[in-house]
Amino acid sequence: MADEFEITDEMRAQIGVDSEPWTYEVTTTSVRMYARGIGTEDPIHYDVDFAKSQGFRSIVAPLGYLGTPVYLPGQNDPTFGFPRRAGGPRLNIPMKGLLDGGTETEYLDVICAGDVLVETSHLADLKLRDSARGKMLFITNESVYKNKETGQVVAKQRLTSIHY
Amino acid sequence: MAEVAKSVITDEMRAAIGKEGPSTVLEVEKTNCRMFARAVGHTDAIFFDEAAAKARGYRGIVAPPGFLGTPIFRPGGAAGVPGEMGGRGFSVPYKRVLNGGTDYEYFPDAPDGDVICAGDAITARTKIVSFEETEGSLGPMLITKRETVYTNQHGKIVAKMYGTVIQY
Amino acid sequence: MAQVHFEDVKEGDEIPQLKKNCSTQQLVLWAAGSGDFYQIHYDKDFAQATGLKGLIVHGALKNAFLGQLLHDWIGEAGQVRRFGCSYRGMDEPNQDILCRGVVTKKYSEGGKHFVELDVWTEKPDGKKTSPGTALVTLPSKN
Repeated sequence: MADEFEITDEMRAQIGVDSEPWTYEVTTTSVRMYARGIGTEDPIHYDVDFAKSQGFRSIVAPLGYLGTPVYLPGQNDPTFGFPRRAGGPRLNIPMKGLLDGGTETEYLDVICAGDVLVETSHLADLKLRDSARGKMLFITNESVYKNKETGQVVAKQRLTSIHY
Repeated sequence: MAEVAKSVITDEMRAAIGKEGPSTVLEVEKTNCRMFARAVGHTDAIFFDEAAAKARGYRGIVAPPGFLGTPIFRPGGAAGVPGEMGGRGFSVPYKRVLNGGTDYEYFPDAPDGDVICAGDAITARTKIVSFEETEGSLGPMLITKRETVYTNQHGKIVAKMYGTVIQY
Repeated sequence: MAQVHFEDVKEGDEIPQLKKNCSTQQLVLWAAGSGDFYQIHYDKDFAQATGLKGLIVHGALKNAFLGQLLHDWIGEAGQVRRFGCSYRGMDEPNQDILCRGVVTKKYSEGGKHFVELDVWTEKPDGKKTSPGTALVTLPSKN
């Protein structure tokens, strides 16, 4: 029952436990689609020749876009697209409501079309709050993205979801 | 007997028949092949999984039937979508338009043809094939038929699209 | 499905049906996959303001469904050479769309084995909404 939900030691023990890796691809079409979705007109996100003239490998991923996870039917969530993979947290969440609580991205390098990233994620934080709606569970996951070719970490992202 | 509607086909339009318009480049990548396949509900792994596609003898993830790549989007510019609804170009007095239908023809056989796969850059060229006028339940109609030819970066023909647009 | 061969097929045969039922979510996925963001497919207020009863399914998505119908039938060794349809009737989300095909002709030419089909989508009441044709090649058992 959502009302009786409590964070257990078993849940907390999953904090920091890394998932299996998943491949995220940054393509020219997906960079442009993301940029178009934001509504930016900066040619750095659209025009490969222009981006190269500015010293980039190819068009630059807009801030917040860290590639599209490889989608395999049956292996990715059909609504949210995230991979359902081995490792990573397994939490039984009784709340039916879901909202995005926030995103924080840290960059260690520029991400461009043509990049293939390998991502692992782990549970970073769990918080339970009481509110007029009832109990609200805040789950924060942290993902680390490495460039597949160089092995270097290029970005980290913390995503918080609110279950109510 | 009802009066025959005045023809809306101009000399300019007649002169355009058979002439190729400017070419458009479409990109076929892993992400857009998968997105198209996912939207349709395809289950065949060759549209999603590179290893599965290569195991079946393809160069890479295969473009699902009906997917010919994504045109290069330029903000503020013309969409540049070949065939289908794009590039009509002629002003006719009819205010309404319907997509009358689309046929795709594929040329998978070497040496002149190929199967469309992720990694391909496809060049599309469209020409008007015919203008036809008829009188139907919706009133007078102009039916425009177009043909778009798609070739890949190796100069191989990979597809043709035959599109029908009805203006009325 | 086991690989279908040219010899297995005769004129008049119906191929296995493909049943679809688009949620509004699928129409949004298709907008992203096709690049067609026309609002009559996901914005109900917009659709109704254009005189439509409600949201309608993209014609091109039904065309792609017929592509899947053929792709799934021909198996790994078959090839789709040509397929298409006319968008005659409208289909709506959350309603069954049945994709069907019937073999109309088969012949061998130039070492290849061709099968022509009528293909179409139909509504639950049997009304054909997107009639079309297709041409495929199938492997021979020989």
